[in-house]
Amino acid sequence: MPGKTAKILLALVVLVLIGGVASMATGPIGYNDGYEPKQPIPFSHRLHAGDNKIPCLYCHVAAEKSIHATVPALNICMNCHKVVKTDSPWIKKLTAAYENNTVIEWKKVHMLPDFVRFNHRRHVRREVACQTCHGPVETMDVIHQEAPLSMGWCVNCHRKPENHAPINCSTCHY
Amino acid sequence: MEHHDHETQSPDKKTSIKSTKKFWRSPQERENDPEWQKLVEREFQASPFFEGDVKESWNRRDFMKLMGASLALGSTACIRRPVQTIIPYVNRPVEVTPGIANYYASTWSEGTEGFGLLVKTREGRPIKLEGNPDHPVNAGALSARAQAQVLNLYDPERLDGPRKYNPEDPNPFRHEQHPSWAQADQEILPKLKEGGVALLTNSISSPSTKAVIGDFATVTGATHYVWDPIGYDDVASAQKAAYGTAVVPRYVLDRAKIIVSIDADFLGSFLSPTEFNRQYAAVRKPGKDMAKIVTFESVYTLTGANSDARVRIKPSQQLDVVMGLVHQISVLSGKGGGAPAYANAAQKLNIEPGLFNEIAKDLWENRGRGVVIAGGLTTRTEQGEAVHAAVNFLNSLLGNDGVSVDHGTAAFKFINGSHANLATLIEKMQAGQVKTLIIHGVNPVYQAAGGSGFEEALKKVALVLYTGDRADETGKFAKFILPDHHHLENWGDSEIQENVFSIQQPTIRPLYNTRAFQDTLLVWTAGYKGKGEKPLTWFNYLKDNWKKNRFHGAGGFDHAWVQLLKLGVLDLSSQAREKVSTPRNFSGAALKVPSPRASEGLELVLFESVLQGDGRSANNSWLQEMPDPVTKVSWGNPLLVSPGLAKKMELTNGSIVQVTVNKQSVKTPIFIQPGLHDEVVALAVGYGRTAAGEVGNGVGLNGFELASFNKGKPVFSGIQVQIENTGQFETVASMQEHTNIEGRQIVVEASLADYLKKPDAGIEKTEVFSIWNDHKYTGYRWGMAIDLNSCTGCSACIVACQAENNIPVVGKRYVIQGREMHWLRVDRYYSGDVNSPRGTFQPLPCQHCENAPCETVCPVAATNHSSEGLNDMVYNRCVGTRYCSNNCPYKVRRFNWFNYANKIPEPKNLQLNPDVTVRTRGVMEKCTFCIQRITTAKNDAKDRGDEVKDGEIKTACQQTCPTNAIMFGNINDAKSEVRQWQGDPRAFALLEELNVRPSVRYLTKVKNAKVEGTEGGHV
Repeated sequence: MPGKTAKILLALVVLVLIGGVASMATGPIGYNDGYEPKQPIPFSHRLHAGDNKIPCLYCHVAAEKSIHATVPALNICMNCHKVVKTDSPWIKKLTAAYENNTVIEWKKVHMLPDFVRFNHRRHVRREVACQTCHGPVETMDVIHQEAPLSMGWCVNCHRKPENHAPINCSTCHY
Repeated sequence: MEHHDHETQSPDKKTSIKSTKKFWRSPQERENDPEWQKLVEREFQASPFFEGDVKESWNRRDFMKLMGASLALGSTACIRRPVQTIIPYVNRPVEVTPGIANYYASTWSEGTEGFGLLVKTREGRPIKLEGNPDHPVNAGALSARAQAQVLNLYDPERLDGPRKYNPEDPNPFRHEQHPSWAQADQEILPKLKEGGVALLTNSISSPSTKAVIGDFATVTGATHYVWDPIGYDDVASAQKAAYGTAVVPRYVLDRAKIIVSIDADFLGSFLSPTEFNRQYAAVRKPGKDMAKIVTFESVYTLTGANSDARVRIKPSQQLDVVMGLVHQISVLSGKGGGAPAYANAAQKLNIEPGLFNEIAKDLWENRGRGVVIAGGLTTRTEQGEAVHAAVNFLNSLLGNDGVSVDHGTAAFKFINGSHANLATLIEKMQAGQVKTLIIHGVNPVYQAAGGSGFEEALKKVALVLYTGDRADETGKFAKFILPDHHHLENWGDSEIQENVFSIQQPTIRPLYNTRAFQDTLLVWTAGYKGKGEKPLTWFNYLKDNWKKNRFHGAGGFDHAWVQLLKLGVLDLSSQAREKVSTPRNFSGAALKVPSPRASEGLELVLFESVLQGDGRSANNSWLQEMPDPVTKVSWGNPLLVSPGLAKKMELTNGSIVQVTVNKQSVKTPIFIQPGLHDEVVALAVGYGRTAAGEVGNGVGLNGFELASFNKGKPVFSGIQVQIENTGQFETVASMQEHTNIEGRQIVVEASLADYLKKPDAGIEKTEVFSIWNDHKYTGYRWGMAIDLNSCTGCSACIVACQAENNIPVVGKRYVIQGREMHWLRVDRYYSGDVNSPRGTFQPLPCQHCENAPCETVCPVAATNHSSEGLNDMVYNRCVGTRYCSNNCPYKVRRFNWFNYANKIPEPKNLQLNPDVTVRTRGVMEKCTFCIQRITTAKNDAKDRGDEVKDGEIKTACQQTCPTNAIMFGNINDAKSEVRQWQGDPRAFALLEELNVRPSVRYLTKVKNAKVEGTEGGHV
């Protein structure tokens, strides 16, 4: 074939190869594992859940009752922080919000797409440890997303016959 | 198998499907009209509009360029998902757990029909209404209108606070002011003190509100006028003339073995249709004791469709019907000479004398166990009084009074509105005696019948105050609009039937700066007294009223109050409604019957439609898009004409005619409705609003204007009319020819006689074998059964499904193109006499077929079979090839052609159900058997540690059905009710011959009459 066409073809093949290698190296796009947003108050799970051994469900009350785990309401924080470490500037910020009835806007870390319906209550009641999906939270100063939370990652657990978990499409997508 | 070959079809070729069909959905289908054939072949229709009509059209090339550019940009853009925030409560209320719904008991009444409600709220906002199973009137069911009320709460066009206008300015809105409540009260109180105060409301079912009004009237000297736009004062005054007390009786249909209706649409719109539907279902179980229903009517209604015998009459012939029956029964009873002038009523009405005599005989033989009912707008003729008097006489003669006509134990005592009251008010207004007029709960400028003079008289009132939620037809004349809370935001109570009390509690904090009407009156009452006393809040007044009047018993008020809020209902009638009461004495003087007269010429009947009622919810898009249960027309009220009249005047669906009543002419499109008399045209009221809002404005024609007010004795029916074909044309949004199913056996009817001989009469069983292996179900297997005999076609299920599943509204233009999104539809099939057909209604959800034709053709596996028998729809996988819909023989799949969700205006998005995905453009959707409810119930059961109990899961359609026609459950459970229904000999599968193995079974409709060709009939 003419020289010019051959050169263009070669260039294209090289580009595709580079692209392919690059995508394999960086992993599939769209998954947020490693996401570690900065929160309005630097709440440390290592301190509260790790050192102080506060159970997950003390704060994340709805995790065993509802589909949402929910970030705790301010009155749960104030249960302790009415008296604990009240001189800290962050606790002062928290108390001010509680007293003025203004909200704290936390950044969501574990984001699933809108078309996925994850049911916390079912998993908690099946005694799936929080750390299974959320990683070693009690060691995290700043929460980051540990697992990819991709469908394949979920299905790998659901598929295991000993887990007796459903794998219908409508289990999560309806 | 016989095959209908479309490609070689031509109208004159002999086809394998008979040309005279046993069931047909429209006259065009019955005659195999070629236009209809074309519609059947194409599921996805081209736009009926020309290029020029489309204003927002994209130029194809520009579209492609933009798409290409976006694709390029998009692929280089950032791939991180946008940041989302989580905002927890500051102080979480103990009873709110995000993700779990809370139900509150409440109540609602619109005009005259009342309901006990269970309001489902999520995170503090109501998203779905359900009936309160403990309320004896509706017993857990809701009508279509009631289901749609939740959307009214979130209407973006509600006023957000008081308004002040200058009504004398030709543009009253020019200097619109937004006063505060205090400012408004300050200006209004001195005016009240000037006297001449009148208060116009509808019939009020709330005893506490009546007390507030009473206090206000006592203190200010105001006169309270009660008027219902579609009222029952004609029934009440006939009761007074005959028996001495004006009361609207409660008709107890489940005590009747024969029900004769004379233009009373008790299954659709008359008085308390939800209750009547339930009673109807109770007495229509196939068997020897099955009740018989005979209807003589001038409009084609749900009642007529579901009757065993239906006779089409002209409104002026109602008196002939009743008096004819009076005569026959008098003769049979041997009492008195009857009414010989009406001896030949049957001939005059063109009915076989044999049939007429049989009806009279049935009534006589079942005396004390029957009922004759007349009522509704259709009986408001010039002879209406005589008709009602004769009906009362009949009921007394037959011993029905006190049994099926309950006058004393649980009658509708709260209905006391009358047109005479409105006439008096108008007179006083004209005479200048009304200085301040407060209008609440009615829209008289729109709803008062033509010629009432209300609008002119209103201009003579110095101060007009309106409590409506927008500047509608009446609001435009108001100086102040003082918007009331929506009923879901307000406290209240209700006594719909005597001694049955229900509480109304707010389920959301008022969205706007509205104030309860009762609070407004309480503030004014206290302010009028001028002693500086602080008025009670309406909430405290309500509690006090209950403390004083209802809770006499032990246990303490606070406990009783909390129980009342929990249960929602307090029945103090001590089961009185179950008892019969003594019959009353009929006062002979009441029966002044004019001599029979000929009915000449074309007559107009104005009737109340099932969905719109008096038009107050015209801005509710769900109700506008809903197909009328009988005509299947949405977004409008075409003039209904009979096929015979249409042929005579060369009219087709959509022909525009000029209608002249009393020298007043209007233009309207027509729609051909089988079952009408050839000299009757019918029009629904409740349409043609001009100031309802963006949704309701300009939809249809205002029927109220065609009625005549007649100084308080309005005539809505039997109006002399002329119609003329203008030759113009306007497409009517009729849904009856969309989604045509073709097949051998779609609905099955059987006569009672045949059913008693052989329970599966009428069913043609097909032998099918499958090359597929069956799915194995070890756990739950969900299935459904629908009883065609119980279904009356009320269509409450459709609105319930729309509310539950976030189903979008597409608008008139796309309805015409067949793009309506309802997941569940109710098909209506005519059968029998071409001139007065019966109707069979078939709700059609997704059949969740075992061998689903949709599952096998999806190229991306977006629809799969679940391990529990459901056909799952996975929206995120769907790419929109629409092959599944193409393959579905039932045509139950709906496609999102546009991004309907983007068009949802705030705050309507608050109504959306968070448990159901809101679909975007390009995906298919269909009935899911309410999988969100199944999942919730399964989760609850797992938490308890056992299985889902039978009846624990109710799909939205099943939950609201007044007749319990839909049964859902686990067919793997041998004891479940759905399994019993599916095993009933009356059960058949729709389009069984295609071997799709649906999970839904239908139970045949049994008619207490002769049904021709019951055995092996072809559709």
